Amino acid sequence: MNPNLKKYITSLLVAICLLLLSGKQALAQFAEGYLYNLSNFTGVVPYSWATLSVDEWQNEVYVVYQNLVTVFNDNGMEVHSFGDSLDIGHILDVAVEENGDILLLAFNDTKSSVFRSNYRGEPREEITLQDLPPEFAEMHANRIAYREGNIYLASEAQMKIVIVDAQGRFIKGFDLIRIMGIPEKDRADAGFSGFNLDKNGNMLFTVPVLFTASILSPAGEIVSFGKPGGAPGKFNIVVGMVVDSQGNYLVADKLKCAIIVFDKDLNFIKEFGYRGEKPGNLVAPESLAIDSEDRLYVSQGRKRGVSVFKLTHG
Amino acid sequence: MRNSKKLYITAACAGLLTLGFTGSAFAFHSGGVAECGGCHSMHSPAAGGTFLLVGTDQSSTCLSCHEHAGDTGPSSYHISTADADMPAGVAPLQRTPGGDFGWLKKDYTFTVRGTATTELGETHGHNIIAVDKGYAVDTENANAPGGTFPSNQLACNSCHDPHGKYRRLADGTISKTGAPIVGSGSYDSSAAPAAGSAVGVYRLLAGAGYTKDGVTYNGVPAAKVPSSYNRKEDATQTRTAYGVASAGGHSTWSNWCSTCHPNMHSSGNMVHPVDQGLGSTIATLYGQYVKSGDMTGTAATSFLSLAPFATNSSDYTALATLAKNDNSQLAGPGSSDQVMCLSCHRAHASGFEYMLRWNNEGEFITQNGVWPGTDTTPAAPQFARGRTGAEMQAAYYDRPATTFATYQRVLCNKCHAQD
Repeated sequence: MNPNLKKYITSLLVAICLLLLSGKQALAQFAEGYLYNLSNFTGVVPYSWATLSVDEWQNEVYVVYQNLVTVFNDNGMEVHSFGDSLDIGHILDVAVEENGDILLLAFNDTKSSVFRSNYRGEPREEITLQDLPPEFAEMHANRIAYREGNIYLASEAQMKIVIVDAQGRFIKGFDLIRIMGIPEKDRADAGFSGFNLDKNGNMLFTVPVLFTASILSPAGEIVSFGKPGGAPGKFNIVVGMVVDSQGNYLVADKLKCAIIVFDKDLNFIKEFGYRGEKPGNLVAPESLAIDSEDRLYVSQGRKRGVSVFKLTHG
Repeated sequence: MRNSKKLYITAACAGLLTLGFTGSAFAFHSGGVAECGGCHSMHSPAAGGTFLLVGTDQSSTCLSCHEHAGDTGPSSYHISTADADMPAGVAPLQRTPGGDFGWLKKDYTFTVRGTATTELGETHGHNIIAVDKGYAVDTENANAPGGTFPSNQLACNSCHDPHGKYRRLADGTISKTGAPIVGSGSYDSSAAPAAGSAVGVYRLLAGAGYTKDGVTYNGVPAAKVPSSYNRKEDATQTRTAYGVASAGGHSTWSNWCSTCHPNMHSSGNMVHPVDQGLGSTIATLYGQYVKSGDMTGTAATSFLSLAPFATNSSDYTALATLAKNDNSQLAGPGSSDQVMCLSCHRAHASGFEYMLRWNNEGEFITQNGVWPGTDTTPAAPQFARGRTGAEMQAAYYDRPATTFATYQRVLCNKCHAQD
């Protein structure tokens, strides 16, 4: 055999082995285990596509459903609820500040409003958004998040995000239509889902109609990934997105009924869930949240409630 | 930011990305068959799933995209409101001409003259079965009213061809083959098909030869809708321009509906006429009618989207001209324009029984100048029927009550003017 050819084949085999080992290592590092569904004393709470957020300091999860905010402890049991008797509009989403105050995002037919409540959910003040540039003044936010003194407001339908400070003063705005180079005429048909933050304040979201997931830095740099398809690692209808303590990205695919996991370099690791009735199966997962102990919360349809998984990393 | 390995995009690259995204999935269906991966999962189907659809059923798959939890109002192609977004007292959010399927989940209980009454949500529209989304089979009608289509098979694809094979060719005829579909043909802004190309039929509706569960369609109805169609009508109306076409693979609107509801069609049956010219008397009344007790209107501005009619034209260009949402096309009907099923009913669902466009369960649709509601007119529960005033207004696509008379009678009167 030609020595050069032999050398080439050897190198190729070594490379393939390394690649396989590398893949197996990644698989070995990430694992998920189904824990339970969020429950109260009557059993599993049968939500359909509730909106989730986490108090990362207390490791409590907040579930917003039909104008009711329900708080579950780190064992998945309901401990408190509020909202149904408030007169602030339809509560869309919540976020929790370090001191336990709760930011309530409400909508009252014509506009979104942000309220700061105490830990019991009793509104104390309305946070008036100030100094919004004209292109963000008419934004109807439907998602809220909080990170290190800043409040993030997102309009999934309008594809806009603004960051304001704790008093509501405008800091920065992002028009994803412009950033992603989407023609203005397609704004109404685009839309994003799964708005969340990582620990560095990067904004995570998916654009289902583009079959992509994206990470947007506060500086306006964006990374998008994903391809359409049914094969493992490809996207059907992607919605919720979070990042775990190791920097792995988890994307919910509500058509595939799976959570698709990518490492911090966006290499596909695995999928889990899938439609079915067994523990750990998922039906049309949508909203995701993750706490500081890497407990993953998955909101589902078909009144399957919120499933909780524990993520481990080898 | 850590992920430089993959596609790294900055705002400065937006121009380049525009090229990359152009022609991508925004329209998704684009008048015909969409990206396969949007509905089918080729390698990870659900256990027991059919056709590699991972949704529990066909309609659940459609609603994976056409319903979105977290909406705050009408949102583009969404046709259903998620349970999470419509607690008791809150109306469904979407305002498409076909209506929001969410009304099917809105049961209302109220007491009239001492008798407790429940109006089931399932009376509000076509009870598609979408298990993942909480839509269940009609419990009252085993078959389509006036027909034999089994209710336990009703799904989006009972009326829409999910693969969108029906197309309008350059010569105006409808076919399943003959030229590639280059885009949607539904909108006022849709380009007319050039020679050698085709556009999708209106709303991917089922065409000649499309068979489902014992019924077979005989053609596609003609229509155009404004490109922005899912919207409140508090300021201006959304005019869907329904046409009248029966040749070249077309079907008139009510004839198309009668595929499943044959005995509801007027041919030989004692029911309200459909697919027939309004005649000069009705057309004139429609043009003059403003509201109860007010016949001072002019035909040129008399169109009411709560009582639309089919324009006697098969010319898609003419229909596109009429399909506007800015009140620039409000001309009423001529005598040859036609009444059809959709003159009174919405296609998907409405806020009222029998998927009617207005509340027909009482003589008044407004009370003392406001929309009836448990909160606005508590002394007249027979008109509120368990709804709040806001819910009632939403069911009329957010029109102010002052659009109509202080005590407005039902909208049969738009054509019949008995009030």
